[in-house]
Amino acid sequence: MSSFIDIFFRSVFLENLALAYFLGMCTFLAVSKQVKTTLGLGITVIVVEGISVPLNNLIYNLLLRDGALGWLQLGHLDFSFLGLLSQIAVIAAMIQILEMVLNRFFPALYNTLGVYLPLLTVNCAILGASLFMVQRDYNFTESVAYGLGAGFGWALAIVALAGLREKMKYCDVPEGLQGLGITFITTGLLSLAFMGIAGIQF
Amino acid sequence: MNNDSPAKAFLVVLLVAVVCSSLVSAAVVILRPIQLNNQLLDRSRNIMQLTGLLSAGAEPGDEEMLALYKSLDSRIVDIDQGSFDSTVNADTFDKRRAASNPELSVVVPAEYDQARLGRRSRYAPVYLVWQENKLDRIILPIRGAAMWSTLYGYLALEADLNTVAAATFYEHAETPGLGDQITRPDWLAQWQGRQIYDAQGELRFAVSAGRVEPGSSKAQYEVDALTGATVTADAVTSLVHYWLGPHGYKPFLDQLREQPPVQSSPDTVEGS
Amino acid sequence: MSLKQSLVTPLLKENPVTLHVLGICAALAITNSLTSSLIMSAAMTIVLVISNATISMIRKHLPNSVRIIVQITIIASAVTVIDQLLTAFLPETARTLSVYISLIVTNCIVLGRAEACAMKSSVGTSILDALGNGLGYGVVLVIVATIRELFGKGSLMGYRILELVQDGGWFQPNEMLMLPPSAFFIIGFMVWVIRSWKTEQQERSDFEPILLAVEEEGS
Repeated sequence: MSSFIDIFFRSVFLENLALAYFLGMCTFLAVSKQVKTTLGLGITVIVVEGISVPLNNLIYNLLLRDGALGWLQLGHLDFSFLGLLSQIAVIAAMIQILEMVLNRFFPALYNTLGVYLPLLTVNCAILGASLFMVQRDYNFTESVAYGLGAGFGWALAIVALAGLREKMKYCDVPEGLQGLGITFITTGLLSLAFMGIAGIQF
Repeated sequence: MNNDSPAKAFLVVLLVAVVCSSLVSAAVVILRPIQLNNQLLDRSRNIMQLTGLLSAGAEPGDEEMLALYKSLDSRIVDIDQGSFDSTVNADTFDKRRAASNPELSVVVPAEYDQARLGRRSRYAPVYLVWQENKLDRIILPIRGAAMWSTLYGYLALEADLNTVAAATFYEHAETPGLGDQITRPDWLAQWQGRQIYDAQGELRFAVSAGRVEPGSSKAQYEVDALTGATVTADAVTSLVHYWLGPHGYKPFLDQLREQPPVQSSPDTVEGS
Repeated sequence: MSLKQSLVTPLLKENPVTLHVLGICAALAITNSLTSSLIMSAAMTIVLVISNATISMIRKHLPNSVRIIVQITIIASAVTVIDQLLTAFLPETARTLSVYISLIVTNCIVLGRAEACAMKSSVGTSILDALGNGLGYGVVLVIVATIRELFGKGSLMGYRILELVQDGGWFQPNEMLMLPPSAFFIIGFMVWVIRSWKTEQQERSDFEPILLAVEEEGS
């Protein structure tokens, strides 16, 4: 249990996918203009990460890793090199299915959140979380904690940035810096702030 | 065939899948031997620099390094039993994989887990360096969680199994300029001659909180602090305390002191 | 557009990173080392060329329903092969870069160019477009990395250029440049410089002050 909480908090604050590793930047910078939109995107990311990371974990541990196919008496095979291909395919398929399910059974939810789903197929943060999960060799429970934490951390970062950008609309930003430039600099400062949280031990 | 027909879609997807997977698999199969060789070379470099067998300033080529590494006496230690275990093959044992394999690893109890390992492999590959038929050094693998990543390193102990001969951290992802000072040669050089245990057998080695005053009572046990990298430095102290503590190599080292190892003859080393 | 334009436009006028906000994810975390950035740019360019060329070759036979997933499969295969080659021939760099190389699959530039160019143009044009975009991406990475490594560590590609104070020299390295957020600041300033020069790239503010007409005295 403590490992679950430890991984969750580490991935939200210390290893924030957006602010420490800079993953998912394209969507991050393009969509973070309003807190309302980013809240929707953030929730979608938490759901997608919370499902895709454990799912990829299962596939990796049951089918792909060195010796995983022992239950089929093929334990000498190592398909880990197919990891990247399988992860991105699983993410794409999962998002497609999620979209169809939302559209059919929760149309109101689909109208608020569903528009972001196709965007997320090629979001570095979604794939990045799965790649880190493999690199750090998490088991299933740990990957659930990590998926939820990574999604929550990304959502937290994007909502914070949207809040800042909303305030900055009323500031006198030099013309060359307007929009993209000042957002980059603000994100850098936000990232520095999060680095200050590192070193907290639970 | 019409582009929009499902049959066409299926055919295209099938062809793409077959071609892509063949190319990727071919690349992997061809490149795998080179990659494995690189890993071995890497490990041999990391270990050889701790053995004291390389003359200062010597830069052996890859072939020579591999040959020197293979000539080392590498053995598997059963950490919990504290003894050598000849049933496990030292050349192919993968300690990292073993740490997550429930059959080959144990859970580290919370009261010992300062290094935040969670689990550790039951076996460890250690290297014995012989000089003129006497044990000169023993090299032990160590690891522990630090600020951003897990530190992986080796600790070389002198024949008294207490004094540090050398140390290295070959893998980490700590903050550049701050935590990554653990790879600074001048800091690692301080480790040489430091003692791990005191006369009563207590673990005294530590990375100091500040500068170590030469002549103070702690000078023989501590190395200087790392500016701006307290968390990483504390992690180093924690992991040394774990691996040289009762749940780590201490039982093994105690047994080794009572029953000094015997240099195996060349043919048994090959065969194990 | 002409072939030369295909190659040169992405470098400055439509630099993928600074104008279109594309593909900067990996651009930032690894720019603390010039060597890593050069290798990353090379890997990106190679993947771009391979994927653009392949997608352009099969574009007439690609059904719409499976278009995206086929593109992703081709790109992912190219990336896996490049990753394997790197692990085999440049193992130390591969260790630092491995996650970021794999993330090229989701890099907006690669998919963006596949959709915008490779699906509509001949193989030749696609390849040149890929080279141009790869170079544009590479230029930004190299500039950021040069600044970060030179003033953050005093070295370039591992070779010592400025003598550090801790080694008896005069240069006190700027420690903030070694931290990841500095890459954001550098790119922010680069965008400022480019947009002050090429003012047509500036974004309009959401709120323009309304100028009230002023009555002239005595009119």
